[in-house]
Amino acid sequence: MKGRGLSPGRATSDVVVCNQLISPLGEISRDGFVTSGPCENTNITGKVLAFKGGRGSTVGSYTFLELKSRNIAPTGLINEAAEQMVVTGAIISEIPMVDRVPLDVFLKGDRVSMNGSTGDISILNVKERRVATVYLMHDGNLLLLKRSQDMPSYPGQISGISGFIEEGETPEQTGKREMLEECSIEDAKPRKIGKEIYVRNDGNLYAITPMIMETRTAKVKLNEENSEFYWIKPGDIQSYKTVPKFQETFLSLLGMTGT
Amino acid sequence: MRQLQLTKEEEKIFEGEMGDAPKLAIRLLYSLGELGEAERLIPIKSAHISGVSYKNVGEGGIQFLKKMMHKVSVPTSLNPLGFDIENGGPVDIDETFHKKQMEIIEIYQKMGVMNSFTCTPYYFYNEPSFGDHISWAESSAIIYVNSLIGARTNRESGPSAMASAIIGKTPDSGLHRDEGRKATVVVNVTEKLDYTRFAALGLFLGPKLNKNIPIIKGQKETKGIELKALSAALSAVSSIPMFHVDGITKETSLVSDSPETINVEKSDIDETISKNSAQEEPELIAIGCPHLSSEELDYIARLVKGKKKVGPDLFLFTSREVKAQSLESVKIIENFGGKVFSDTCMVVSPLSNKYSKTGTNSGKATFYLPLKGYGNQKVAFMGILDLLKWVIG
Repeated sequence: MKGRGLSPGRATSDVVVCNQLISPLGEISRDGFVTSGPCENTNITGKVLAFKGGRGSTVGSYTFLELKSRNIAPTGLINEAAEQMVVTGAIISEIPMVDRVPLDVFLKGDRVSMNGSTGDISILNVKERRVATVYLMHDGNLLLLKRSQDMPSYPGQISGISGFIEEGETPEQTGKREMLEECSIEDAKPRKIGKEIYVRNDGNLYAITPMIMETRTAKVKLNEENSEFYWIKPGDIQSYKTVPKFQETFLSLLGMTGT
Repeated sequence: MRQLQLTKEEEKIFEGEMGDAPKLAIRLLYSLGELGEAERLIPIKSAHISGVSYKNVGEGGIQFLKKMMHKVSVPTSLNPLGFDIENGGPVDIDETFHKKQMEIIEIYQKMGVMNSFTCTPYYFYNEPSFGDHISWAESSAIIYVNSLIGARTNRESGPSAMASAIIGKTPDSGLHRDEGRKATVVVNVTEKLDYTRFAALGLFLGPKLNKNIPIIKGQKETKGIELKALSAALSAVSSIPMFHVDGITKETSLVSDSPETINVEKSDIDETISKNSAQEEPELIAIGCPHLSSEELDYIARLVKGKKKVGPDLFLFTSREVKAQSLESVKIIENFGGKVFSDTCMVVSPLSNKYSKTGTNSGKATFYLPLKGYGNQKVAFMGILDLLKWVIG
C-alpha cells in the first residue's frame, strides 16, 4: 500500500488505530497514553499510531519529542490527512510518518511495516491484491452485477465488473479482459480511470483501480461469476446492497469527470 | 527532482555552511514546503513562537531548543509560560519547574525573541498588517490574524515558526496563497451570539469541519473579542487556520465554487455548553484564554467596581503591556479581590498543583483543562456574567 512519506525511517510494530483527530498536547499524555476519544486510555508506546490527523495546540510537536526522550514514543505515525504540527513533531523526533492512508484498512491486532521515506506500508500476514473495477455505462445507465453465491468474496452482493490484475497487465487491460469474460462485451472504451482505493477483507487487502467505461451495446451475457445484472439510473445506486466503498468511489469518479 | 527550488544562498544554509541551527531550520522548512507543495520559500515580516511553558515543552523540548539556538532574523514574539515572572502565581510551583522554565526563557532571550509572553501578540508586540506574509505558531493567534487582520500564515508549530524566525522565510504554500484561503463550507447561524456562545460555536464546529475553512453567515454585528473567542475554541478542536465572517472580515470573496452548507441551531450551541459544564461550584474562576484586551479588562472592572469578592478565587490573564495600559482597571479588580496575572494563563500553568474545579468562559480552556494528565480539572463553562455571580455576593 502506498501513502505519502512525510518523515523518514522505518518501523515494524503493532498498529493502534484511533478513528479520531488528536491534539498531541493534552490528548496524548506524557506517559504515552491517548487521553480522550475512542482510543482513551490506549498506550501508544512502541506502537505505530494511526489516527485521522492532528488538531489543536501548535506546541503538540513537542509531545513526540518528549516521548522520544523518555523512550516511550510510538515507533511510527500514520494519518489519513496530515497537518504540519504533527509532521514537524515526527521529523524533529525522528519518528517515521506516512499519510494519505485510510484507517479502515487496519484491523485490531494487525502488525504493520512502514517506510516513512517512500510512503510504503504493508500489513503483515495480509495479502495485497490488485483489482480493477469497471463502472460500465451505456446510454446514461450504469451496469450492476450481482455476484454469485459461490464467489469467495462478497457472495450475493452488488458490484461492477471486477477482477484481479494479472502480472504484466495494466488496470485498463484487466478491465477490458474482465468485461469480455464476465459480460461478453468487447467494445467498451475507458472514460475515466481513478486513483487506487483500498478495501480490507480479513486476510486480503484489495488495492482497487476504479474506472468508468462506455459501451455501445446494452446486451450482456453473464458467466458463472455473476447471477444477475441490472442497468440502472446512476441516481438509484443507493438502493442496492453493494460491495464496500463501491458507491462513494463511483461518486468521486463522476466528480472527477467534470474536471 | 526537487519540487521546491532553493536559491543558491538557501542551498548553502541547507548544506550547513551557516551552522547547525540554520541547517536544521531550513531542512525542516524544506520538508514542510514539500508537504504543502510549495515551489519556493518567501520572506516573512514576523514570527510568533509557541512552546514556552515547561509543562508543554518538557525535557526533550529543552534539548531541541538548545540545538536550534540561533539569532532570529525577523521580529519574533513569544507565547506565555508556566508562571508570572515578576509577580509569581497563579499557583505555587516546585524548584525544578522554575529552574527548567527559566532555562527555556533564557534560550529564547539569547535568540533575540521579544519578552512578550502572550498568546495575543497582535494587541501590542507584533501587529501584522493586511497581506503580510508571516510565520506564526499558537493556534488561536494564527486563526485570528488570518481571519481578522488578513495577514497570511500557515498553522505553524512552535518548532517550524522558530525555524522560519531564524531563516526569515517560510514555504510559499497553503494560507500564503489565495487558493488556500478559500471557504469551502458555509455556516449559517441565525441566533445572535455573544462571547461564550461564539466559543461554544467553535467547539461545536471544529470536529465537523476538521480542516475546512468556513464562512459564517448571520453574524454581521459581531465584535473582535467575540471572534477571538471563536478563534481559540475552533482551533483547539480542529486544525482550521482561518474563517470568514460575512460582513465583517476582509476576504469574504474567497469562497470555493460549490461550498457545502451547515446550519447551526440554537440547540446545538445550548447542548455544547451544557455538555461541557460540570455544574459544581468552582474553586477558581479563570478568565483570559486567549489573553484579555484592555477593553475586556475595563469591562470586568466595571462589573466588580466597589464590590468585595466572595467564594472562589478570581484570576484574570493578560499580557504585561495590556496590564500596564489598564492599570486603573487592574487596581479596581485587585481591590475587589481578584488577581490579574501576566506572562501566563490557566492552560499553560500547572493549575492542578492547587485547583481541581475551574470555571471559565473560554472554549479553548474548556477543551484542554479537563484532559487527564494535562489539566485535570472539572470545568464549568459559562458566560462571564454567570461566572461572576459566584464571586459577586
